[in-house]
Amino acid sequence: MWAYVIRRVLATIPVMAFVALFVFSLLYLAPGDPAAVIAGDQATPDDVERIRASLGLDRPYLVRFGEWVFRILQGDLGTSIFTNLPVGHMIQQRIEPTLSLMLVTLILAVSIAIPMGVVAAWKQGTWIDRAVMGFAVLGFSVPVFVVGYLLAYVFALELDWLPVQGYTPFREGLFPWLENLILPSVALGGVYIALIARITRATMLEVLQQDYVRTARAKGAGQRSILFVHALKNAAVPIVTVIGIGIALLIGGAVVTESVFAIPGLGRLTVDAILRRDYPVIQGVVLLFSFVYVLVNLAIDLLYTLFDPRIRY
Amino acid sequence: MERRNLFKASAGIAAATAAGFPSPGVSQNAAARTLRFVPQANLANFDPIWGTQYVVRNAAAAVWDMLYGVDENLVPQPQMVEGETVSADGLTWEFRLRPGLLFHDGTPVLAKDVVASIARWAPRDPMGQMIRAIQDELVAVDDRNFRWKLRRPYPKMKFALGKTGTPCCFIMPERIATTGNATMITEYVGSGPMTFKRDEWVPGARAVFERFGRYTPREGTSSWLAGPKRVLVDRLEWVVMPDPATAANALQAGEVDWWESPISDLVPLLRRNRNIAVDIADPLGNIGSFRMNHLHAPFNNQKVRQAVMMAINQEDYMRAVVGSDTALWSVLGGFFTPGTSSYSEAGGEVMKRANMDGARRLLAESGYANEPVTCLVGQDQPLLKPMGDVTADLLRRLGMNVDFVATDWGTVGQRRAMRNPPGQGGWSMFHTWHAGADAVNPAGYNALRANGNDAWFGWPTVPSVEAGITEWFDAPTPETERAAIDKINRAAVENVVYAPTGFFRSYQAWRRNVSGVVKGPLPFFWGVSKS
Repeated sequence: MWAYVIRRVLATIPVMAFVALFVFSLLYLAPGDPAAVIAGDQATPDDVERIRASLGLDRPYLVRFGEWVFRILQGDLGTSIFTNLPVGHMIQQRIEPTLSLMLVTLILAVSIAIPMGVVAAWKQGTWIDRAVMGFAVLGFSVPVFVVGYLLAYVFALELDWLPVQGYTPFREGLFPWLENLILPSVALGGVYIALIARITRATMLEVLQQDYVRTARAKGAGQRSILFVHALKNAAVPIVTVIGIGIALLIGGAVVTESVFAIPGLGRLTVDAILRRDYPVIQGVVLLFSFVYVLVNLAIDLLYTLFDPRIRY
Repeated sequence: MERRNLFKASAGIAAATAAGFPSPGVSQNAAARTLRFVPQANLANFDPIWGTQYVVRNAAAAVWDMLYGVDENLVPQPQMVEGETVSADGLTWEFRLRPGLLFHDGTPVLAKDVVASIARWAPRDPMGQMIRAIQDELVAVDDRNFRWKLRRPYPKMKFALGKTGTPCCFIMPERIATTGNATMITEYVGSGPMTFKRDEWVPGARAVFERFGRYTPREGTSSWLAGPKRVLVDRLEWVVMPDPATAANALQAGEVDWWESPISDLVPLLRRNRNIAVDIADPLGNIGSFRMNHLHAPFNNQKVRQAVMMAINQEDYMRAVVGSDTALWSVLGGFFTPGTSSYSEAGGEVMKRANMDGARRLLAESGYANEPVTCLVGQDQPLLKPMGDVTADLLRRLGMNVDFVATDWGTVGQRRAMRNPPGQGGWSMFHTWHAGADAVNPAGYNALRANGNDAWFGWPTVPSVEAGITEWFDAPTPETERAAIDKINRAAVENVVYAPTGFFRSYQAWRRNVSGVVKGPLPFFWGVSKS
């Protein structure tokens, strides 16, 4: 087991190296010029050239890539072209809101979607099943920003129950923290709930046909025990897999959600950096996201052993 | 149930279960002392000389003071200086600083700080460059006096030091001002009415300013950058909101107090809310434009440029950009800001009335050989996308071969600097707009310069425009200034330095419990209070 974990952790090194090369090359080839954006619209061509030179953007690809990799190996993600702040510091400023949003969304989604999927499978073909599936279709179909605006209109503007926007750090209290996260999490969680609920239903339907479930019923096991102990545990592997894959969905959705609810998280940092061509920030954030995604996948792989003792590494 | 009640109810449960959870309560007095402002854009950097974006200038005006400041009549008034004397030949300017000026770190503002600040600003500013070109010496005489000796008179000196156009001549401590102007400063110490809370700055999300208690305001009446800058709130929070709908919701819910630039689509919604006031933000507005590349075909041909200008219907642009609220826009007959003393329609009749038939005839006469027109449009800029669409339609109706390049502003910014022919990575035209405050006279109006390779993107070469600009700078009287302005306008129209697409203003909106908001080219935070 530990050998497997070490092997997987070591395997992240070539993956991250490839991501680094890919991201750097993509940004190098992409059109756009941070110097022009910095200089402002009224700047002269000479101003733009001067700023480009001062940023070192006029140097060859290999020199810039080499310097960047050298700094990364020393744990330095570089300095933002626009703010002159270390990228690590900017990520640190923004990571809490994004982690909070993803955590609350994850808890919300899993605690709603899995019971929904289980009940839909149990009541297959009834109006409950159709309602759950209808919700799932809706969750997939309606864009996050539409849900976000609707929620903000109803619960913030009309009812005045929750704030429209912003983020309150956890250190300022659980309720203020949660108050700002409820609407964004519901908006972001829609697709995620739909995804998990559908997979849970499909997997549960398959498991409920299995012989051991029939045996449990024959032994007089209660419905709750059959659903949540015998069936759900055996359906857990594909569900956990989808939850893991869905993390990428959450990262992508966080970009939109953070903009709609003005949450100062990594998603907005990424979009701002892309629009301005703030290369060190884009590279730093993409590396971080890739690293997190690799780790999440590792955690999911390890979780398999909890749900299915037959799986051994 | 309202939010406060809901959370009051939950607070009881919280108190019973977890005494460690602090309540979200903020006293009303503290809230009234904090002004929450949604700026037009993100404050991504905070060096007003290194970067010249308007949003940086707007924040900097609260932190760094200026030697002079223009008032609402665009007349420069003494701000940090007590007064100045000019020698009879106009070559030597002696300035004396006001007593009691302090930087935010508690050190006094000295003449050497001013000299270093001017030295950093001048190479970055068009007017500063002109003064540098005729500068004999700039020295600190003693702690409060400095002298600027020139080789030629420069009558517009006070305007140069007090204008609103970027970069403004902000005064910094010498140790900061000696930073090369190609390097970003990292210490934000000024002598303005507010301090910058660097520790609370989250670029892309928030910037915080606090009232500087030791600021010494001038006597008199505040007017734009002139007069006393009395800050009436303790704290100013800039809350960056990239999404206009979110900003509108936050303003309606009272989560922010003042929104600098609501988009016109949302203004009717805001007007319906009795707690919100909406008014013109900047009376000097903006001039929409597209610039043609004078270096390459087809726009290296004056007749082609004239044909395009003749075909332009500015109303089409303005309705596409601003909408049907005709109070917000007007058709231009010239290149300078309407409503100011510099506005001229000399030679500009052709701009005011579209003549498509005449334009087609002129295009045919020009010898236009169906060369593609590479039209760059930054689609991520709400003002530029509709302008680009109108232009593409206009050119096609005119009979031109349009290569419409829909991209983002970052790419336009890079590509417009390329002087290659359009087929080799260059361009034929791009869209933008110019702040009316920059177009009130030729001083800071980069877009109107026509000095070839040194001119703004498009690189027009029109000696008669340049001659007019020189005459304006040297003009000793308002009459000679006026004559120079007319000359510039006539030459700019005839040679189509660029193509104006109309004059437009925008709104600002604020909660009615905020008072003291004024119209101007930038948001002025002094004199604004909140009840």
